Amino acid sequence: MLLRLWPEKTAVSFMNLRFIALVVSVIALLASAAFLTTRGLNLGIDFAGGAVIEIDKPEDVSADQIRNRVTELVTGDVQVNSARGTGANAPEIAVIRFEPQPPVGDETPDEAQNRAGDVVSAAMRELVGAERFNLRSEASVGPKVSGELFRSGIIALTVALTLMMIYISFRFQWQYALGAVAALFHDVILTMGMFALTGFEFNLATIAALLTIVGYSMNDTVIVFDRVREEARKYKKLELAKVVDLAINATMSRTLLTSSTTLLALLSIFLFGGPVLRGMSFALIFGVIVGTYSSIFVASAVVLLLGIDRGDQPKREVEGFQGVS
Amino acid sequence: MLNFPLWKVGIIVVVLLWGTVLALPNMFSDGFLGVQPKEVSDPTNTAAVAAYEQQLQEADQSWWFLPSGKLNLGLDLQGGVYLLMEIDPAEIAANRLETVQADIRSAFNRNPLIERNPPVQNEDRLTIEILNPEEDMDEAVRRLNRLNPTIGTTQTELFDVQQTGDRFIQLTVTGNARTALASDAQSKMMEIIRRRIDPDGVAEISITPQGDNRIILEAPGEADPKRIKDILGQAGRLTFNMANLDSSAIQAAINSGRTLPRQQLVDSVDYGQILINRIPELTGADIATANRCFDEANFPAVCFRLNSSAATKFYNLTRNNTGKNFAIVLDGTSMSSPTIRTPIPGGNVIIEGRFTIEEAEDLAAIIEAGELPAKLNFLDERTVGPTLGAESIAAGSRASLIGLAFVGLFMVLAYGLIGGFAVGSLLSNIVLIIGALSGFGATLTLPGIAGIILTIGMAVDANVIVFERIREEQASGRSPATAIQAGYERALSAILDANITTFIAASILYMVGSGPVKGFAVTLAIGILTSVFTAFVVTRWLTVMYLRTMRPKRLSM
Repeated sequence: MLLRLWPEKTAVSFMNLRFIALVVSVIALLASAAFLTTRGLNLGIDFAGGAVIEIDKPEDVSADQIRNRVTELVTGDVQVNSARGTGANAPEIAVIRFEPQPPVGDETPDEAQNRAGDVVSAAMRELVGAERFNLRSEASVGPKVSGELFRSGIIALTVALTLMMIYISFRFQWQYALGAVAALFHDVILTMGMFALTGFEFNLATIAALLTIVGYSMNDTVIVFDRVREEARKYKKLELAKVVDLAINATMSRTLLTSSTTLLALLSIFLFGGPVLRGMSFALIFGVIVGTYSSIFVASAVVLLLGIDRGDQPKREVEGFQGVS
Repeated sequence: MLNFPLWKVGIIVVVLLWGTVLALPNMFSDGFLGVQPKEVSDPTNTAAVAAYEQQLQEADQSWWFLPSGKLNLGLDLQGGVYLLMEIDPAEIAANRLETVQADIRSAFNRNPLIERNPPVQNEDRLTIEILNPEEDMDEAVRRLNRLNPTIGTTQTELFDVQQTGDRFIQLTVTGNARTALASDAQSKMMEIIRRRIDPDGVAEISITPQGDNRIILEAPGEADPKRIKDILGQAGRLTFNMANLDSSAIQAAINSGRTLPRQQLVDSVDYGQILINRIPELTGADIATANRCFDEANFPAVCFRLNSSAATKFYNLTRNNTGKNFAIVLDGTSMSSPTIRTPIPGGNVIIEGRFTIEEAEDLAAIIEAGELPAKLNFLDERTVGPTLGAESIAAGSRASLIGLAFVGLFMVLAYGLIGGFAVGSLLSNIVLIIGALSGFGATLTLPGIAGIILTIGMAVDANVIVFERIREEQASGRSPATAIQAGYERALSAILDANITTFIAASILYMVGSGPVKGFAVTLAIGILTSVFTAFVVTRWLTVMYLRTMRPKRLSM
């Protein structure tokens, strides 16, 4: 028969598992917090400032040679990584990164940063020879902009969370909104913790990924909540924990299917989408898994904890949308 | 519910066709879209000339019904330079205040003379000490107020006049004037930047303002950020000064660190240092045109022509100073200091130097575009070379195709024939996304491609929700028709709520994101809209058609 990821009729008691899930989540959150404080995020130049220069690396030039030459020219830590490009017989690539540069004389910090980028780029042209020199990419971010980018990233996350919370309170009840937002914080913190643990670069694209995770996790949560609302209406006398279990069981097949197709799509970005998208797709993959988990065990559990108002619930809020079909 | 009236079918067909027509141009070359090719600036570049001619030919037989808008590729895909620049408002205010000093001098020198010490300027504040305050103070304040210039369209006064202590007057640039000056400078500088980077007006560069005092330059296809920064980093202040090349006088000035009051030492391209007169004879404003040309020895050089009044002035200058030297000074460095042999009529001047063709072209563009009113500070610079851009496109398309294949296979495995309908609506979804992006002239970036792939994965969600409902309804004993009807009805609220929340995230991302991230937000948002449409309308239409024609007893799913 056709592929089924979840049996047709189930009555798994997810809410009985919620205390185990609570322990798991709390441990994961604490671990994330620990990683974030001890190891910290590997901030990309979007947020930390500095420069990244990526060039084709000829075989006869070693990464050490490049590192030594760059270290002579700039202050602070210099990282040189070599990697291989995508595609058949792709050349080897050297990725050079250095910190924001201190200003010399009456320069502004932005000018110092900019000058260092030019100097290093020119030195590399000289080192590998002008005819073999291929500048794959160069990015140089001054301290002024990196600070602004970081702030706007945080603002974006906060605004998005707030607006979603308002929307959910409006469409459901405030208990659902709190549950959803708890799940979102859970997902964002765990994903950031994962970035601290693995050392994947945290940059603007990661913020985009986090916002998408927020959107996805919310999507997932809403599907479950919608079902909880429906079942609660249908079985007015049933205990809330049972109602939530009914809803989760009913939506489980959909949850797994959608997560699978989304993960398949993301996996193909991670594997075949080239190095530029790797960090972003990694965040998304992790976020989708955590988001699926949290809509069941965090969002629903919080709703169960807070209880919902089942007496004077507004009737069939859906009606406003009926015209669409 | 199950009968699709003709008008609904009509709308579906129109939307799908419209999306297809908008998406189609991406499959064709510019020529077939009727886009007239751009002039080739360098006739020796045979490849460019051949491409030009081919496009011209294709444009003649173009397909008139195709729109000409293609997907705009972001800089991260087609390669190019992104530069975020800032103008310091304080610097502009200070520069503007400096130009008032000459007016103050002549106002105070008018009869009755006001005795004062030379004004002292500290950034955007000018302090004047009046030597006989009892007699002159009121008159000085009055004269200063009268010469106070107004700025911009709002007619704000440039400075506040304030008496401090008994003997001092302070001129401070007002906050409003500062804002007006900055926005004035911003638009002026955007124009100068365009003329410098793209003197022929052929490149597809984009120059956009950000905030009050920032400018974003995006130059697709450009691979050398240093060249752009060199062109923009120069103030471009060009002057003609009489020069003294006498080596003993220069040496004496260098040793003592002093010059005659009317002279100053400047660096020189060909002599180390030379002495020039402080006050220039001509400035960049006197130049009508500047071009790259070749000198007598056939080396690249910069030729320029003075406007007619300056040409006369230059002729008189060269007639009166035959045998002497003059210097062409750019931003404090003498580019050339030729000896005047004969009077030069016509106002044609040449700067010879050891230029490459490119350097000579850039210099000509800088001279013709004129002087920047303030220095540009480079805050954020990103360059993607053509190799990386091409690799990203290849990787992005590969990932999309593989992702699509995976998801399609999965849907068919999970839901059989009806899953196939969902794949059909998924394909139309992708056509609609590409059509919408092309139609809006939105920019496709690499994260944008990731957004499309993500949409492929998430777009089936709406279908999945509905299908699961149909399964449930069918399991509880309903016929296919009622099961499908109930499935769509019940799934509606969940799908709308879920997609509206994701849409909120995408909108926020669009508002605060920059560059590539914005591209991601756009495709995500468009993808949400099209996927709700395709799941609710296209898949359902396909399913209903199937029900009507095949009349199955039971849906196998």
